[in-house]
Amino acid sequence: MWALCLATLFITGCDSNSPTPEPTTTYNKIAEGQTESNVFKVKVYSTESELTTGYNPLHVAVYDAAGKRVEEAGISFMPLMDMMTMKHATPFENPASEKVAEGYFSGAVVFTMPSGEMGAWSLTVSVTANGQTDTVTLPITVQEPATSRLKSFVSATDGTRYYVAYLQPQQPKIGVNDLEVAVYKMNTMMDFPAATDLTMELDPEMPSMGHGSPNNQNPTHTSNGHYKGKVNFTMTGLWYLNLTLNDASGQAGQLYFEVNF
Amino acid sequence: MIKHIKKYLIAAAYTLAVQLGYAQQNAIPSDTVRTIVLQEVAVSAKQQNHRLHLQQFYGANQAATTEELLSRIPEVSFIRRGSYGMEPTIRAYSPNQVSVTVDGMRIQGACTDKMDPATIYIEPLNLQSMEVHTAGGSVMQGAAIGGSLNMKLAEAELADMPTLSGSLSSGYQTAARAVLGNLRLSYATPTWGLRASGTYRKSQNYRAGNGERVLYSQYEKANYALNGKFLLHDDLVLQADFIADAGWDMGFPALPMDVGEAQARIASLTLLRENAERRWNRLEARLYANRIAHYMDDSTRPDLPVRMDMPGLSRTSGMYMEGTAAPAAHQSLTLRADASVSHLQASMTMYQEGQTPMYMLTWPDNRQVQAGLAAQYTLQVGRKIQVQLNSRLNASDFSITTGEGRDQLSVFGYTDTEQLFLIPSVSLQLSRMLLQKLKATVSGSLNGRAPTASELYGFYLFSQFDGYDYIGNPNLKAEKSMQGELTLSWQEPRLRLQATAYTAKVDNYILGSYAPNLSAMTIGARGVKVYQNTAHAFLAGAEASAVYNLNGYTQLVSTIKYSYGCDAAGEPLPMMPPLRNVTSLRKYLGDYLWLQAETEVAAAQHRNSEDFAEQPTNAFMLWHLRAGYKKETEKKVWQLNGGVENIFDVNYREHLDWGKISRPGRNLFLQLTMGF
Repeated sequence: MWALCLATLFITGCDSNSPTPEPTTTYNKIAEGQTESNVFKVKVYSTESELTTGYNPLHVAVYDAAGKRVEEAGISFMPLMDMMTMKHATPFENPASEKVAEGYFSGAVVFTMPSGEMGAWSLTVSVTANGQTDTVTLPITVQEPATSRLKSFVSATDGTRYYVAYLQPQQPKIGVNDLEVAVYKMNTMMDFPAATDLTMELDPEMPSMGHGSPNNQNPTHTSNGHYKGKVNFTMTGLWYLNLTLNDASGQAGQLYFEVNF
Repeated sequence: MIKHIKKYLIAAAYTLAVQLGYAQQNAIPSDTVRTIVLQEVAVSAKQQNHRLHLQQFYGANQAATTEELLSRIPEVSFIRRGSYGMEPTIRAYSPNQVSVTVDGMRIQGACTDKMDPATIYIEPLNLQSMEVHTAGGSVMQGAAIGGSLNMKLAEAELADMPTLSGSLSSGYQTAARAVLGNLRLSYATPTWGLRASGTYRKSQNYRAGNGERVLYSQYEKANYALNGKFLLHDDLVLQADFIADAGWDMGFPALPMDVGEAQARIASLTLLRENAERRWNRLEARLYANRIAHYMDDSTRPDLPVRMDMPGLSRTSGMYMEGTAAPAAHQSLTLRADASVSHLQASMTMYQEGQTPMYMLTWPDNRQVQAGLAAQYTLQVGRKIQVQLNSRLNASDFSITTGEGRDQLSVFGYTDTEQLFLIPSVSLQLSRMLLQKLKATVSGSLNGRAPTASELYGFYLFSQFDGYDYIGNPNLKAEKSMQGELTLSWQEPRLRLQATAYTAKVDNYILGSYAPNLSAMTIGARGVKVYQNTAHAFLAGAEASAVYNLNGYTQLVSTIKYSYGCDAAGEPLPMMPPLRNVTSLRKYLGDYLWLQAETEVAAAQHRNSEDFAEQPTNAFMLWHLRAGYKKETEKKVWQLNGGVENIFDVNYREHLDWGKISRPGRNLFLQLTMGF
């Protein structure tokens, strides 16, 4: 409690000196560090309290040497899993805008596995601002969520491995819900481009009742491998969102996400 | 007891009412109203019509429920899902097309499976009379195309001396091992009166005609009613009514669920002025409110894949004002304004071991605001002709009241869920004495009805009748009906014959239609049906009754009815009662003892609806024997009633009974009543 009070005082104190007010959006800080040449200080935030396997929106705050928030910067990510004998990357989305929004540069990383004895995750953030470029590599921890939010399959048509991440609905309700998934191909261990040319069929199902729901909209591609549609829930409880993914030559794979509310 | 009550009818208001009643009796009585009078209070001409034969049944079996009493009116049938909570309907119409009111008050059931029609809240002990209006006469009660059923509540009395009276009754029935007990206490003074009554019924699983007990047919209930009457002025009376009804463990063998508990509270305040010398000889204003809480569950059923709770809540408040005037000689005008607002909500929660409960709103929270203006004008032309014009303009607005409810319905693409229905009704009735004893009445009417909350907003309501989940449709149009009716009646002191034929074309007839693109929610359901306006339906039928007094001590009463209904394609409509006859012969053995033999015959119904997977029903014939004995001492009246119903233990079911469940077999009943 005292710590919290002091922290509040400290932050407020900082605010009075800074022309940019501290953003009001509350994210959870995942990692922070000085860049290698001490040009910037980077803080990485998550919408959730921890990073989990699947799609994680990340919000980066950058400070210059004077401790002032950087409002315009090019940010790029490089997530890496070090498994001693091998290393691999994972799909990610660099912040789309070079302009800060509410104090943050927002992108995302899709972690394909949790941290553990098998290996450790790190996130390299490189910042280009005020004519300088510098990078920082931050160790991060990724947990396996209670409900899986990432599925992968090997395409029946061309043998490519695909990763499908669940984005929406995060707060499911009885009624019409926005559905969003993101799909990535694994070209190499280090290259996971967005899969933008698939078609999908959505079939929600209540496994314990054996029924579905009417008037769902199949997700269609919007941008960067994101597919948006509508899913309808007629009641609370455990639902399976069955997805069939097709590429130009036919059915590539099938998978389902659990939604329990 | 009756004699005693009559003696106390000295209050000024009543003398006037009775005189008014007899004054009207000279005019031609209406044929489109059937009444059961249960308590001899204010006698009006209307009620004299048919009460003789209907009272007989009541006299014979005081353990009878309101449903059993109503079933003696030829126009009335019941849809039966269990031995409790049978749903009344009139002629070939569906219950949704019929207006059921308690003393003019609207009560919306809180059960999505219609286990709680308003008739269950009124015990015969609290009932003064029951009125069934067919054709246009029903427009005074509401916008309904199938007629109206109104239950008039018993009232406290006034007396010139403070008087305490009451009755105590107890009975037993063997088929269901059912016990009944009731108590009534009335206190009357010159300026105020109180009437309090309580009834308790407990019924076990009944035995069907084949000797087997029908599981889940039990019920237990208690009903309390309180009426207070206060004479505010010479001709001005204030009345307060309160009814509390509680039911427990009520089984519905034809449904997959039972009712664990149901609670009803019905309250009203009425101001009544009756004075024949005034221009408006009767004025009544009433405020009312009621609340029904209903808890349906399947906790007593074995081996179910999913456990289910389905609670429902209904709240209604409303008012009506009614005035009757005699604008000129041989004319009568009744005006009525009524309004009510009802809130309905019902949900379902399903439980499965180790899983998140599955919850949904089966009636997304909704509100119905209803208001109507009605007028009835009667003109007597000479002694032979009477013309009656009934009309009503009714507005009802339905809406979903919560975002949660709207979200749910958006699953079906229903974005606009609010609907206003403006329904005009008009009917013209012409009566003429053709001969001295033969009268003909012809009537024609145009009317309509708004859809029900289930038909508009129902969310996967499973119907055990046809095995489909039903989904509402907020885009439904009102049903419109065009009806014609002809009644011939022959009346002489010893014989009264009456025959009625009717026909109706109902446009926009609302039926569930199979939606192959939707998947059923209920495990085992055959699919999903969505309510739609079908092009039209055609309904027709006839009733006839005869009352014959062979001599002063012997009386024969017989009624017969037939209903016919088909949709626009000529296919039979479901739930159509077949040809049915009830005949009773009663003989008085002296002044205290009477015996009555009765037969009930129903023809087979093979005009069953394929769309509703309806099964044909076999014909049956039942014999009943009833007897009554009455002994009056100086201060008490003792009555003993008993009899045997379904003497030959016939295994049968009526066509309107759901789920091939047999009705009770041989039933011996005995009832002792003491009045003071």
